[in-house]
Parts: sequence; structure tokens; C-alpha cells
Amino acid sequence: MDKKPEEPPEGVSRRHFLKGAGAAAAAVSVAQLPSEVQGSNGTEDEPTILGPGPVPIQLRINGVDGQTEAAPSTTLLDLLRDHQGLTGAKRVCDRGSCGACTVLLDGRTVDSCSMLAIDAVGSEITTVEGIGTPENLSDLQQAFIEKDALQCGFCTPGMVVSCTALLKENPSPDREQIRRGISGNICRCGTYQNIIEAVEHVSRKGGK
Amino acid sequence: MAEEITIKVGFGDHFRDLTVRLQDGDIAPWQPDQQLDVVGKRLPRLDAVAKVTGTAKFAQDQNPAGMIHGRILRSPHPNADIRSVDLSAAKAMPGVRAVLTVPEVFEDSSARFAGAEIAAIAADTEQQADAAMRAIQVEYDIKDFCVTIDTSMEDGAPQVGRGDQKNVQRVSPRSRGRRRGGNANPGADQQVLDRMAAREKEVSALLAASDVVVEGTFRTQVQTHAPFETHGAVCSWEDGQLVCWASTQATFGFRGELTSNWGQVKASECRVLSEYVGGGFGSKFSAGREGVIGALLAKEAGVPVKMMLDRSGEQTSAGNRPDALQKMRMGVNKDGVIQALQIRSWGTPGSGTGGAGAHNDGIYKLGEVDKVEYGVRTNCGGARAHRAPGWPQGSFALEQMMDMAAHSLDGIDPIEFRKKNDDHPIRVAEYDIAKERIGWNKARVRGGASNICTGVGIASNLWFSAGGGGASALVRISKDGSVEIRNGAQDIGTGTRTVMGMVAAEELGIPLDMVSTRIGDTNDPQGPMSGGSTTIGTLTPAARLAAHYAKKELLAVVADRKGWDPTDLDIRKARVIRNDGSDTGLSFHDACQLMDDDAIEVLKARPRRNYAGFSDTNAGVQAAEVEVDMETGVVRVKKVVAVADAGKLINPMTAESQVRGGVIQGVSYALTERRIMDRHKGRMLNDDLENYKILGSLDCPEIDVVLVDVYNGKSNTQVMGLGEPPIVATAAAVANAVADAIGTRVFEIPITPKKVLEAIASKKAPDPGGKKKGARL
Repeated sequence: MDKKPEEPPEGVSRRHFLKGAGAAAAAVSVAQLPSEVQGSNGTEDEPTILGPGPVPIQLRINGVDGQTEAAPSTTLLDLLRDHQGLTGAKRVCDRGSCGACTVLLDGRTVDSCSMLAIDAVGSEITTVEGIGTPENLSDLQQAFIEKDALQCGFCTPGMVVSCTALLKENPSPDREQIRRGISGNICRCGTYQNIIEAVEHVSRKGGK
Repeated sequence: MAEEITIKVGFGDHFRDLTVRLQDGDIAPWQPDQQLDVVGKRLPRLDAVAKVTGTAKFAQDQNPAGMIHGRILRSPHPNADIRSVDLSAAKAMPGVRAVLTVPEVFEDSSARFAGAEIAAIAADTEQQADAAMRAIQVEYDIKDFCVTIDTSMEDGAPQVGRGDQKNVQRVSPRSRGRRRGGNANPGADQQVLDRMAAREKEVSALLAASDVVVEGTFRTQVQTHAPFETHGAVCSWEDGQLVCWASTQATFGFRGELTSNWGQVKASECRVLSEYVGGGFGSKFSAGREGVIGALLAKEAGVPVKMMLDRSGEQTSAGNRPDALQKMRMGVNKDGVIQALQIRSWGTPGSGTGGAGAHNDGIYKLGEVDKVEYGVRTNCGGARAHRAPGWPQGSFALEQMMDMAAHSLDGIDPIEFRKKNDDHPIRVAEYDIAKERIGWNKARVRGGASNICTGVGIASNLWFSAGGGGASALVRISKDGSVEIRNGAQDIGTGTRTVMGMVAAEELGIPLDMVSTRIGDTNDPQGPMSGGSTTIGTLTPAARLAAHYAKKELLAVVADRKGWDPTDLDIRKARVIRNDGSDTGLSFHDACQLMDDDAIEVLKARPRRNYAGFSDTNAGVQAAEVEVDMETGVVRVKKVVAVADAGKLINPMTAESQVRGGVIQGVSYALTERRIMDRHKGRMLNDDLENYKILGSLDCPEIDVVLVDVYNGKSNTQVMGLGEPPIVATAAAVANAVADAIGTRVFEIPITPKKVLEAIASKKAPDPGGKKKGARL
């Protein structure tokens, strides 16, 4: 499965479409799809027809490999929420404009409402549940609590994920960089200033 | 016999004695010299761990076994009557388990906005429900429509309502003999008209006699609540009992609607569960049609149904803050005293007229006021209460009039002018705090190479939130030393749960982490809705009383076992102490072990009435600093100072968060948010979160919150709520700051670059805001 698919000379193949459609498509290669998803006759020349019925999808979520049956049209968000019971990521705008569904795909933030679950095959998926647990909070989660960086809490999981990615990329961001780092996440209650303070607090302590 | 006590009320240097006759077994409020261990501390909210780890389960996150999905079909037409709804094809679609039509269930065959509910389906998957919706056949009788205040007010405009409903209807002063939803009884209304005419004459005379008259016309837009969790519920019938995991700001109200004989569901038993609610801002008091539909679909399907609105349904049908058109004339004398104010206002709360008014005459001493308000029907989604209903609209107009009046009086300082016309006992002290912290007197930047002009502006808040009767709390102290407090009300993100726990912990003399709290379950004692900022003012006195009497029972047990005097005992820092402060050697935990029973349980109701107190109202002052790019017209709010008070502060950290949130929504209202209707199709164009622009982190100002702690004496906790007051003044303060920066006024929000550039361009034209020649803005 490590062979790279050949580029067709022109036009758009289904695979190329799939490859381009994923929000983090750069990280996903169709060659990484498990054979079950590719279909038994999956060759490089012929398009593979998936679905509309459920197909097995193998994903690595929060460090654990698992297999789920879902229609290939299932978004990553719905797969996490409805099939995996991971309801931290929220469906709010359902079109990638609010950030409440943010998860990490190989360490980079993606809007899980706007990508297909099958596009995440082969990637390391991290949800808010994988960042810390009530018994083992991350430094950032602890700072969110101490700085009251949440109100209703509905945007909070997405904010936690985005801020985690931001700190990983830049462990000591300035205020403007933090503002930019969370600019893809909207908070309706108005907790931005508290979130910025929480990130600064972690950054000062050198945590993550 | 009611006990009479003397307490201190006031704040800062302004305290006085007040004699209070305690009622219903009540206890004295905490006093300024009293050392408190929990109350007044910045403590993290109790549900924070669940929220930051994604383990908090909202209504949207519920997934009971066998659950299927509900969907609502909405009208594509802004004004239509439904002739027929044919569900036969949809019923036969794969996965469909239940269907209903709105005309049958709600006995309403009119669709008076694009987005009105027509029919609903529950199917095994969302995709199946969507597919089945497309198979529903609806025949409409399509009518002409109006979606803007201006078109609806035109002569010969299409009728929005039905029957004899007129598009424009006076809502205040109220017509006598008005039938529900209908027009005035002409005979009885004549008396009101006569009084209005007399009032108009009187105020017109006062305006004519005033030294200066300023006038202006102001417009505010429709703002949607856009809570992040949409409206709806997961509904399940279990042995005849309806269980709803609801996204609501009124658990008991939600239950009441589903059990009422007047409602459509008529459940004999219903339990509403709302431990976490993803925002409401005033839009989630009612179960709504979506709540009723969810319950009925679940009944028919025989399995749980998730009936949460999608984003488009949320933005079009689940409420908004109505727009307003306000015309004002204010008469002021040279000494700076306001003589009279004339107000005419119009608002469009959708196809109804409720909630059309703008509260624009409440804050200052305005002399004689002649005010008439009209509701204007439009074929748009209906208004619902929205964070300080009517107040931000009114403040936007009134506060600009205040600045215009101040400037017309040979440049009297706007803050001094306000002080002259303000007698609020708390606010008079708050002006100076805001003035100093915003740098009121610092030099303004005036263009130059950067094209940037800066300005500052000020405006005031007012609110009424001491709460009232209608809540009970249950405190349970167990033999193992655990403590639980329960109330069935919800926490929509305001911190109600935490504040309730803190009050109980303080009264019990134990730290907050020894108290577990249970909320959001109608099987627990009655609690208030999260409305009017009265939630904690209503709830906490009950919590404190229940904790107080539970502690007394525990100390009676201790006294009995130990042979001590029960009146000499108290609990502090989880130790049983004597009145002189000495330790008895007994911990709270050990004291609990002395019980014979498993637990002490005390249920107490809140005393019904409030005491006279220091002030019936919250005050508050906000000052904004803006930067305007004179070339692009872009306004950037740099800083907002928000001075706020809310009686006795239980948790300054969550209080501060409430204020910051109000300010952010206020800036968002001032600069970016706006419902856009397509005048040709009659539909909302931005029923999403990309074109409906909510302020983001990059545009969020620095917010400097100053909290004033007031011992108001209204109840045993002296608490007032703080959800609404901080949004009242923000847009007005921003507008005044913009005028200060650009030297002319923008009379309409949102203050977009286009409007700023137009205002700058028309600067040399005659000023529409000031009548007097030479009057500055």
C-alpha cells in the first residue's frame, strides 16, 4: 500500500477530487486508504465506488486504532460524535465558519464538519478528549479553568484544540499571534480575552 | 413574630443604616465588616472541568439507545397560506418513522416568514429525514410580502398579518379594549388618543420654551441571538412519562408547556433535563414549535427523537432583537437641565408586534416625556427577548442625544452633562471611574500620515435584577460528611451553578469543593428561568436559607450529643467553633458522624418579597475608545471600560466574565452584526455564521472591567444579576466615540465603513442631528 498513485494526465479523477476535497488533504494520500475502503478491485486506473451503504473505516483517534462502519459520505465530525461517542467537538455552523468542531489531524487544526471521515484515514486524529481528561488535565485546560475562559462551554472544546495547536507551533506567542491563532473560532458568549489570558499563562509557564 | 434588625446598606464610602423586618424565617444579609471565606472570592466555575474536556453533555450530545432524527420543513415563501400538505410520498421513504404537519398540530395554516414551520419528519438517519423532506408536497397560496420596516409602513403595502391586523400598530401608550393580537376598540381608544394629544401639546410647548433643542433620527438593525447550541431537545417517552434533554433557559417553563392542557403535547408527566445549555441570550424561554414537534414525533415513532434546529432554522426562526427607528427631540436649558423629550419609535418584531419598543427614556431625568411606540409587522422571523430587550436600541439613540445636547450647550462636557441629569445613587460614583480609566481628557489623534482619528465616548446602563419569589433549594448533609445542594434551574453559561454552590458553602462554613451541586432537572426543587438577570437574585436567597437551617439542624445534633449550648455553636472553615471563635476540637466531618439518621435534608423557599434596600436598580457606566481610519472608514474599538455593579458580588471572576461578554456582544452589535433580508425573495440571506458576522478575536477590544460591590440589602444574599446590564450601553458608547473621532455622527448601526465614509463626506452638508446653528456634535 505504499505505492504512490499515478497522476492521470488530465481531468479530475474521483481520487483527485477526494484528495482535493479534504480540508487537510495534503496530509492524506489515497494510497493510505485501507484495502477495505478502496474496494477489492481497487486499481490505479479505475475509480472505486464507495457506498452509499456503510463501509469499514479504520481511523486512529486519540492514539487508539479502531474500525467503524459508516457511509463514506459521513463527515469526520459525525463519525466522532455519532459512531465514537466523542461529543466534545460540536456541530454549530456545519460549514467550517465557527471552529466549534475543530480537531487535530496530524497536529494541524481542521474543521471536522467539513471533511469526510475517509479523508482522515491514515492520519493521527486528536479530539479535545485526547488532549486531557478530568483526571489528567493539560496545562492549557487548567489555565482555561483558572482564567474562566469559558461560559456556556459550547465553543470551548474547539477553542481548547485550536489553542493547543497554536502553542505547539509557537510556544511563546504574543497577544496578536494568539488573536490570530483563534480567529477561526467564534465564541458567542464573549470569552476571547479570557482565552488569550489563559494561553499567555501557559506560555509563561512553558507548558502546553 | 417578624424580627426587626438594622443593617448597613451602600457601597464604597456611601453606607447608611436601614431597618429591616425579616420575613418568612429569613436571616440577615452579610454585613460589610463581616469576614467571608467563600463569597467574594474568584473561584473557578464548578462545571469548568467538564466543559474544557468535552465531557459536558449538552442536549445536542444526548444519544439515547434507538434514537432517530427529526427535521422540520420550512416555508420558502415569506407570506403564504398553506392549502395542503401531502405526506404520503414522504411516509413511504426509507427510514421514516413519524410525520406531522403544522396546520394540524398548531392549527395555523399561515406561513408569515420564509422559514416558518410547515411539517416535520423523524427518520432513522439525518440523511433519510432530509430525503423524505424533499418528498413532501405542499400547496401554497402565495401572497405579496414586506420584509423591511420602510416597505411595511408604505401606504398600500401588502398585508403581513391576517384578518383585520394592520401592518403598523401603536403598542404604547396601549390602546384600551384591544383584543388579543387585534386592533384597538375605536371607542375606548379615543380616550387614549385624547391623552396622547394633550401630552404632545404639553411637551411641544416645553420644547419651544427650551434654550436649545436637538433632534435626531436613529436606526438599529435586527440582531439574532445565534446561541452556539441551537434550540431543540432530545425527546423520549418512557412508560408514559416524557423525558426531554432540552436546550432551554427555563426548565420548568419548558415542562409547563409540554404538560399544559392548553398545549399540543399534554404529557401527564414530563421531566426536563438541562445540565448544560449552549447559550440562550433570551431566546430559549419557550419550548417552541421545535420542542413540541420533538415530543410528538417521539410519541408517534415510539423511540427517542433528536429534534435540534439546524443553523439556518436557528437564525431564521428562533428569535431576534427587533430593529428600531427612533425619532427624538430633546429640549435643554442653558444650565444643562433637560426639560423635555419627544420620542416616536417603530420596531419590527416579525409578523407580530410584541417586543417592538425601544427603552429610550429610562436612564436619566429627562423632564416631561411624550413617547409613542409603534409595532410594524414584517414577513420576517419573530422577535424573542434578547439580552436586555429594547435597551441597547434605546440607549443607542438616547445616549447620542445626550452627547448632542451637551455639545450644543457651548460644549459642556458630556460626562458633566450626564451627572447633572442623573440621580442614580451608584452611577454618580461610576462616571469618574470610567472617565479616569478610559483617559477621557487625553489628546485625541487627528489624522496625519496614518489617516487615523481617535475618539472616546460614554454611555450608561440601568437594570432591575434583585429577583423575587419562586425558587426553593434543597440542602442535604450526609452522615459521611458529603454535602449536596439541588435546584432544578439551569445554568446557560452565566455561572448560576457555581454561585449557588458558593452561597451554600459560605453559609455552611465549608469550602466550595466540599459541596456538590445539582441543577437542570425538573425533578429537583423549583427554580427560576434564566431571564431578566434575576436568576441568582431569585435562587441564592433560597440556597442560603436552606443551608442555614441544615447547619442549624446539624449543630443541634452536635449540641445534643456533646452537651453543648446549640446557640453558642457555628461552623467555619469546616470546623465546629464557638461564638467567641474558639475551636471545639470537632471537624465538620466528625460532626456529621454524630447523626443518627443518614442525612439532614432541608428544603427552603425564597422569601417572597424584597426589602427596601439601597437601590432597586443596577447602574453601570461604559466608556469606549475607538480608532477610525478616515480613508477606509474602518472602525476599530481599542478599549472599553465597563464599570458595573450587581449588588453583592458572589464570584467576581464569573461576574467579570458576564460583563466582558456583554461588552463583546455590544461591540458586535455596534459594528458587524445584521440580519440581511432579500427584498425580492423575502428570505434571510445570511442565515449562517459566515455572513452573519459575530465579532471575532481579532476585532475584540481590550475590556477593562471595574466591579462595584454593593450591599444593597434587598435580600439575604443582596445579589443582583449581571447578564443584561453590560450590553445596554456598549453600542451607544462606541457610537459616541466614533462621533468624537470623526467629528460627525453615524445615526445607524452597524457602523460599517460605508456609513462612516458617507458621514465624513456629508460633514460639510447641513447637520441632520442638530437644529441649532453652530451646534457641534
